[in-house]
Parts: sequence; C-alpha cells; structure tokens
Amino acid sequence: MNDIIDVFFVLILATAALIITVRTLSSLFNIYSFQSLFIAVVAVVLFFQTGNIVLLLIAILTILSKALLVPYVMRRIQKNMNLKRDVEFRYLTPIGSLLVGTLMIFLVYRSFSTLLSELSYDDLFFFGAVIGLSITLMGMMVIFTRKKVITKIIGYLMMENGILLFSLFIAELPFIIEVLIVIDLVILITLATILAYGIDSTIDDFHSKLNSFTLWFKD
Amino acid sequence: MFLTQLLFLSLSIFPLAALIAILFAAKGSRTFRQSIYWLLFSVNLLVLLISINTAFFNIDLDFQLYRLAGSLQISFHIDRLAAFFMGIIAFVSSTVCVYSVRYTEHHGSARSKNFTTAMTALFIMSMYLVVAADNSFTFLFFWELMSLTSFFLVLSDRSKTETGKSALFYFIMTQMSTTFLMLGFLALYTVSGSMQFIQVDSLSGLFKAGVFLSLFVGFSIKAGVIPFHKWLPYAHSASPSNISALMSGVMIKVAIYGLTRFLLFVFSPDLWWGVTILVFGLVSALLGVIYALKEHDIKKLLAYHSIENIGIILMGLGLYIIFLKYDFSTLANLSLIGALFHTLNHALFKSLLFLSSGSVVDVIGTRNIEEMGGLIKRMPYTGILFLFGSVSIAALPPFNGFVSELMIFQAFLHSFVIDNPFMKVLLFIGLSLFALTSALAAACFVKAFGVIFLAMPRSNAARESHDVSWIMIVGPSMLAAACILLGIFSYQIFNWLGFAFPLPDLMVIGLSLLFIVVLVWLFVKLVANKHSRTSETWGCGIISQNSSMEYTASGFSEPILTIFRPVYRTRKTVNRNFHDNFGSIFKDGIAEIHTFKLFEERIYLPVARFVQKISDYVSNKHDVDLDTYILYSFTAIVVLILITGWLIK
Amino acid sequence: MHFILYAFINTLFVILVSPLFVSLIKKVKAFTQGRQGPPIFQTYFMLNKLLSKERVYSVNSSLIMKMTPYINITCMLVASLFVPLLYVPEPVAGIGNVILFLYLMVCAKFFMALAGLDAGSTFGGMGSSREMTVSAVVEPVVIIVFAALGLLMNTSNLHEIFSSSIKSSLVFNPAAILISLSLFIILIVETSRIPVDNPETHLELTMIHEAMILEYSGSDLALMELSHSIKQTLLMAVLINVLMPFGLALEPGITSILLSSVLFILKAVILSVIIGIFEASFAKYRLFRLPSLFMLAFFFSFSTILFELLR
Repeated sequence: MNDIIDVFFVLILATAALIITVRTLSSLFNIYSFQSLFIAVVAVVLFFQTGNIVLLLIAILTILSKALLVPYVMRRIQKNMNLKRDVEFRYLTPIGSLLVGTLMIFLVYRSFSTLLSELSYDDLFFFGAVIGLSITLMGMMVIFTRKKVITKIIGYLMMENGILLFSLFIAELPFIIEVLIVIDLVILITLATILAYGIDSTIDDFHSKLNSFTLWFKD
Repeated sequence: MFLTQLLFLSLSIFPLAALIAILFAAKGSRTFRQSIYWLLFSVNLLVLLISINTAFFNIDLDFQLYRLAGSLQISFHIDRLAAFFMGIIAFVSSTVCVYSVRYTEHHGSARSKNFTTAMTALFIMSMYLVVAADNSFTFLFFWELMSLTSFFLVLSDRSKTETGKSALFYFIMTQMSTTFLMLGFLALYTVSGSMQFIQVDSLSGLFKAGVFLSLFVGFSIKAGVIPFHKWLPYAHSASPSNISALMSGVMIKVAIYGLTRFLLFVFSPDLWWGVTILVFGLVSALLGVIYALKEHDIKKLLAYHSIENIGIILMGLGLYIIFLKYDFSTLANLSLIGALFHTLNHALFKSLLFLSSGSVVDVIGTRNIEEMGGLIKRMPYTGILFLFGSVSIAALPPFNGFVSELMIFQAFLHSFVIDNPFMKVLLFIGLSLFALTSALAAACFVKAFGVIFLAMPRSNAARESHDVSWIMIVGPSMLAAACILLGIFSYQIFNWLGFAFPLPDLMVIGLSLLFIVVLVWLFVKLVANKHSRTSETWGCGIISQNSSMEYTASGFSEPILTIFRPVYRTRKTVNRNFHDNFGSIFKDGIAEIHTFKLFEERIYLPVARFVQKISDYVSNKHDVDLDTYILYSFTAIVVLILITGWLIK
Repeated sequence: MHFILYAFINTLFVILVSPLFVSLIKKVKAFTQGRQGPPIFQTYFMLNKLLSKERVYSVNSSLIMKMTPYINITCMLVASLFVPLLYVPEPVAGIGNVILFLYLMVCAKFFMALAGLDAGSTFGGMGSSREMTVSAVVEPVVIIVFAALGLLMNTSNLHEIFSSSIKSSLVFNPAAILISLSLFIILIVETSRIPVDNPETHLELTMIHEAMILEYSGSDLALMELSHSIKQTLLMAVLINVLMPFGLALEPGITSILLSSVLFILKAVILSVIIGIFEASFAKYRLFRLPSLFMLAFFFSFSTILFELLR
C-alpha cells in the first residue's frame, strides 16, 4: 500500500515539475488533469486503508471537477483565443524554477520535521504533507514566473491541488470539505473577474485596462 | 646525516650560481648561461632523488642553519609531506631548467638574461627552503624571498607596458598575503610561545576562528583562490613561459603546502573549516573554468585553469576535514591523498602545457590563439606534448589527471554515509558542480588544442612556423612521460606506499586498451580496403577552402558563453551595413561579444579606489610647512602623555 | 581466467547485437511516418559496404583524424567490459567503476570533437562546439543519476549494482520511476537522438554528432558508426538491467547465457521501440532549450536522492 502511494507521490512531483517548464497550453491542461487524477487515486488508496467514505467522495469529486470539467472549460476558452504557447518568463527561467523547487522540497521537509517532532504521526502522512505543501509553493512559483494570465490560473489550480493533497493527510475529514468549498468560491470570483477583462491578456494589459476605467471617474 | 649534508650542500649551489651569474653580467656569454642551467638541472635531479628517498622510506632530515636571537632561528625539518612537495618542485624545476637553456636566449639583452638566470636560481632555492622550513620565522623569510624573486622574474620582459602593471598588481597581492600570514603566525606565537610547527591545541572560539581565517586568506591569495585570484592571469601571462610554468606549476603549490601543513600538524580543525574550504574550492573551480572558456590568450587561459585546479585541490582538503570530523577515516584519507596527488598531477601537466605553449608563442610571436592554427603539421613534437597535457588536464583515462579526479569523485559519491541531511545535500550539489567543472575543462581544451594545432593556419606567422630545437622538447617530454606513467601505475604506486584504496587498476585498463587497439588495427588491415587518398575538405561545393572558413575560438565557445550568460553578463552588439536603404542586401558588419569583469569592477577597483582616497587624503596632510609639522608632533606628544597617564592608573 | 571468458563473450555479443537496434529504431520511426523503412539488418550491410570502400582524407587533416576512429572503438569496447549484458562476473581490478565508465565515453567524445575541428570545415567546428556544450551541461545530470543509483544500491561499481538488482529489483521502488526517466533522458542525449540532435540529417542547422563525423569515409566511418551503436547498446543495457534484470545470470553456463541473450535482445527490442516512438513524437529542440530539458532530468534524480536520504 505504502509503496503504491509513494509511486503516485513521485508521479505528482513529476507533473508539478513539468507544469513549471512546459510552454504549450494544451500540454499544460493535460498535465494538470493527470495531476488531479493522481491525487484522486491517492485518495482512493487512502480510502482502502482507512475505510472513511468521505475520501471516496472527495476522489470522485476531484475526478469530475478537476480532471474532467476544468480542463474542458479551459480548452473551450483557449479555442476562442489565438494563444497556443506561453514562452515569456519573468524572474526565474525554468532552470531556476526547478532549482528553487528542489530546494523548497528540502526546506519544507526540514521545517516540518522540527515542527511536528512532538506530535505522533505516521511516516506516510508526514511525507504527504511535505509533498502537498511543496506542490502549493511550486504553484505559487508558476504564478509569479509566467506572464500570461491563463497560465497563472493553472498555477492557482495547482496550488489548490497541493492544499487538497496536504489536507488529505493532515486535517480532519469534514474540515477538508469546508476548506475545499472556500477555495472553490475564491477561484470562482477570480475567474469571473478575469473573464471580465479578457483571459488572453497579460498583467500589463490588465493595468492599462484598469487605468482606462479610472479615467471614467476623472470628471 | 650524510644525506642532510648532501642536500643542503646542493641547495647552496643555487645562491652561488645566482651570484656568479650577476657578477659576470658584463660578460654575457651564452655558453656560460647554458652551463648554469645544466648545472641547476642536475642539482634539481639530485634533490628529487633525495626527496623521493625521504618520502618513500620515511626518513626525516633536520638541519639548523643560523640562530639570530632567542626563538628566531633558521632551521629546517623535512618530513614526508615536505619531501613530497620538494620532489614536486625538484622535478618541475629540472624540466624548466632544461627548457630555459634555449628559451632565455630568445628574450632581452645579455644583462637582463643573466639577471633572469640569477633570479630563477634564487626563486627555486627559496621555494625549496619554504617547504623545508621548521618554524614560522624561516617560513616567512623564504616566503618573502620567493615573492621578491618572482616579482623580478615577472618583470623581465620590460618591452611591453602591461608587464609593469601585472608585476605591480602581483607584488601588492603577494605582500597582502604575507601580512595575513604574519598576523596568523604572530597569533600562534602568542598562544603557544614557540615558532615551531607543532600541535597547538589550546586555541578555542573566536580567536581560533580568527587565526584560521587569516592563515587561510594569506595562503589563498598566493594560491589564487577566488575571490583573491585576480593577479594570477595577469602575472602568469606577462611573465616568460618558463617562469609561468614555475609559478603556476610550483609556486601556488607551496601555498597549498602551507595550508596542508597547518591543517594537518598544527591545528585540530573544526567542521565549519572543512565546509568553508570546500565551498571556496567549489566556487574557484567552477568560476575558474567558466572564465577560462572566454579567453583567447593562451597563457591567461592556462592561468584560469590553474585557478580551477587549485579549487579542486581545496575541495579535496575540505572533504578531508569533513570526513575526519564525522569519523570516516578511510574516506578522509582518500580525499586527502586525492588532493595531494592532484597537486602533483597539476604541477606536472600545467608545467607541460605552459612549456609547450611557450614554444608555440615563441615561434608565432603572439599569445592570441586566433592567429595560430595548423601547427601540428609544422611543430609536431610540441603538438604531441600539448596533446598529452590537454588529455591529462581534461581528466581522460588512463592519464594521471583522471586518477586524482576519480579519487575525489569517489569521496563525493560515498558521502551518503554522513548522517546530517544538510551535509549530504551540500555534498551532492558539490558533486554535480564538480562534474560540470570537469566537463567544461574538457570543452576548453578541445577548443585550445583544436584552434592552435588543427586545421589550417590563420596567419602568416603560423604558416611559416617550424618546430623548436630538441632542447626545448626534452623538458616537456619528461613531464609528459611522468603524466602517463603516473596514471597507468597509480594503483601499484599507492599499494607500494601503503594506501589500500578501492581504485580501478589502470594498468589493466591500459593493457586492455592497447590490446584491443592492436586487434582492431589488425582486423581493419586484413579485412578492409587498403586504399586511401587525400582530397579537399567538403565545403558544400565551394572550391577554394581558406582559413577564414574554419571555426574560430570565439565561435567555438559562443554557445557556452550564451548558456552561462548570467555569469559572464554577456552583451552582444551587432552592427550591420547594407548596400541598399531597405536593409536587405548585406555588405559587411561587426559582431562583438563583451563579457563583464565581475571581480575587477565590483570588488577590486572599489577597494583600490577607497585606499587611493585615503592615501590622497593623508598625503595632502603631508604637504604642509614646518609650523604645521611641529603642531603635529606637539599633538602626538600630548596624546601620548595622556594615554600613559591613563594606562598607569 | 573467468574474467577473460567474460570479456570475450560480452564484447563479442555487444559487437554482434548493436547494429540491430540502430536499424530497429529507424524502422519504427519509418512506420510512424507511414513508410516501410530500411530492412532490419541494413546496418550490418552498411558496415560491410563501408569496410570495402577506400578512405579519403582531407588535405588539412592530421594524425588526429587517423587516430580517432581507433581510439573511439577501443574506448567503447573497453567500456563494454563495465556493463555486463549476459552475466555478471566477479569484479576484477576495479572494472565496473562508474566514473571510469563515464570517462571512457568522455575520452571518445573528446577525440571525436578534435577530429571534427581537424579538417578545417565549418561543419566540423560547429559540431564539435555544440557537442562539447551539450556534453558539459548534461554531465552534472549524468553524475547525479549515477550517484542516485549508487545511493539506492549502496555501491558505486556497476557490476555490483547489477548483481544486487538481480536480487531485489527496483521495479517496486518508487525511486525507480524517477531514475529510469533520468536514465532515459541521458540515453537520448548521449546517443544524439531527437529532441537533442537528429541522427538522420546533414543540414548544418540540425546536426551535432553527424557534423563531427562528416569527413570520415571507408573503414574509419565503419568504426565510428559501430562505436556509436555500441555506446547506445551499453546505455540501453544500463537502463534495462537496473529496471528489469531477470534473465541476467550470475554464473556462466551455456543454457543461462543463451537464455539471457535471448531475453536481453527481447528487452532491448522493446526499449528500441519505445525510443523510436519517443523520437517520432517530438521535433528537435533549439540548442539553448536543451539545458531546461536536462534540468528536468536533474530535478528527477535530485528528488530521488532527497526521497532516499529523507526516508
């Protein structure tokens, strides 16, 4: 059992590394749906281990929403734009991001082992928490290193995946559902705001469009 | 006893030879100088034999020369470590002396040639005596002598303006190194009460850290560790090639000897020392080779590679301390012996490279490799020697460079036995950076050898070149033979010395390589078509191939410069001229690639400007009249009286 | 004396079997492009033909050009002693050391790069420059992958790695996935396949390895091609024997050797098909995008090390 979960941890890490470096938008969506699928499989295996029905529910929800629905919606949106690839990087190139990602996994591990040394925990849960938090941080890196807004959304979704993975192992189960709902609400609001301004824009266009709104109020 | 007397008798020949050379300056006889060099050659071989005797059979030699006062005495003690380094100095110096027999005749007037000969003799002697020194006073005395003589040697080619600047820079840096060393030695003296190199255990805390740092900085400046390395490329390229070989091959090793002596025999090192040395070694190795890749001056290129190899030696020393602190004595021994073996190997192949490239520079007349080319047909012996040197420095089996790098790689690979996760991660990062360094060094020497010796000549000087006389080939051949022999018989030599390392037996590998090459050659000779003919190089149909179609050195290193752009801060500027106004028919253009001299512009120049400002301020205070001087003296006396009164209270 | 028997059998097998996989990959790529492709034994026919042709040397070249094919094939054949294909012998004289294995291949590459510069053509210089750049940037990745492998198996000797993987295969260890991904990327890089380099082109924009051997002809070219295919077989063998070592014997015996040769050819055929399909799915990367690809392999291996260390 533990070995299978380890295998999937590895695959999830691999997908996270690929999202940081890949430039083609359709590949990004595919990799994201695979990542959500792997997390759902981890939840299913945990269900077989602990017998908690909520885990099965979470797995099914994840597959339906994140592995199928969200990528489908993103592909629909992408078809209406002229955008195929996102090649511009800011602050960190893929090489630098991967290096920082590796360092971060290590740092998260160190700080967790000192933090949680008093609590009694299972080795596996500890590992899952470390990986979850690392995926979240890597998602944040995707947000600040890319320029196109649509990639930033993928980064945000990856952050959400990471928090889901983290909470699968650490938090109490009913709590997870509440956390998920809150995060989904935030995503909904962000998406709606961005759709209003145009999803094929970059942050610079965003600023210039905002500026044009302030001119309304000048007189 | 007999050996000691023989050794010091032979060493005293050096100052004697120097004296004679200067005294007979007016004579300027060529055969006279040549005989001095042959004499030095034989004396060096004698010293080599004596030091091998000490090193292998572990017989220590003692000698006391002169007692100045109290604990200030000039005495020598040669144990295994000192004998090892003396052997290195001896062998390399002997080959340089043979080479200099013909080389010094090519530069300068008769007077300056005599002076150079004298300084060379004194330089070699002072290096021997630094290594043989028994106490700090002797060490510093001969260290200063070494620096002074090498300063004059760097200054020998006075026809170029850059020589003066390089020599001055070198002099300042070497005086700084002496200052730091003196600080460290004085601190040790106040703690232990004696100047001898004995174990000092009573140091602790901040004081110990301070002593270590001042000694480390002092030795690093002389060894050329980044960030104290800036003088090395200037000094080694401005001096004549035999002196560069001595300086780069041997003098920086003397600094390594000092560091090793203190780490092994005087201090009981802390763990953070090992980490510091390792990190400095890593940075020097990586940055050294990256800066070497952009150089097109063959001597600056070789100088940066010296920095890289010193970095590798420091990495071995740092690993030694780390493994020692974690109680892994086999791995510690492996790293230490690897570092020391790399010292020997680097002395051998770097001198080989400097001497053979010195022959090339002598014949062509410029150090710029972009004006050479096709020399392997015109200077075949020098070419083969340079090839041996390049293969050794690129660490290809079965040469000696490979064996020492293998030992350090093995030490890195087994670093997972350490428990501390931080240390493990640091060591694995170090491993990958070390691999990168090694691969980049190979790339750099493909460029160097390929551009200098292969393809077609790029200038008239290269086209009309010829090989040097046999005297200038004997010296480097000795070094080349040592390179291959040390590599192949490394396993046997280590076993004989009593170190049982789990290393591959390169003699077996060498024999299998030989066997298979003969088999393949026989097979091809029997089975394949025997005809061969020569024709033009494939040029896509362009008929007359000339040297402007070859790859240049700048073009060769351009992909690497682009990939490592953050390090070089490469700026490319392209100016194109067109025939028409629409910019479509290209006429000609210039492309420039600029790299940024980080250490010069961000560290050295600001420090130099700051010091200049202070000295300007102070010298302004000097240009005053008599009354103000008396005011100064008056203020000083009043202050002194106040301080004395306050202190006595 | 067992070792001499091993050396003989291993080397002979490597020489016989290597050209097969080269043509197999070409055939797979041809199928994906809707063509028939050359016959499976085409490489053997090509080597035979090359041996019977005369050698043409350039006016500008020197003895480096004449020496390099022999140096190449010798280094590769000695390196093949380090990778047991059929059975694992007792380690003798430190043969099997990972670093020596890697540096024998670097030696071959060094001389090939020199030979590229030798004829004075722009193609050769360009090939050498790119080859040394790519090899320099991929070297840390290779070392870390083998360091991770050594960490997992607790030894740095290839023979011991193989014999311990026979006893407890890595397939069920999650680190195996990461290591095999990295080893696969290294295989692609070292054998100059798409997306690093195109082995079937002769346009100056797209060749690295081919540019360096452009001037060779006759038996020299046969030796260079053979050494290239031996290198590919050796790296494939490392990947196969680490992941799926069943069939690799520990003692020489007629039946076990026959069985292991058949199984090896089978496993290598599967790997060649995977390589062919992988090559057909990508276009060649721009040269300056390659460091990102290597960084991915580096990330995988470093994560393996972190996993193992922090367990």
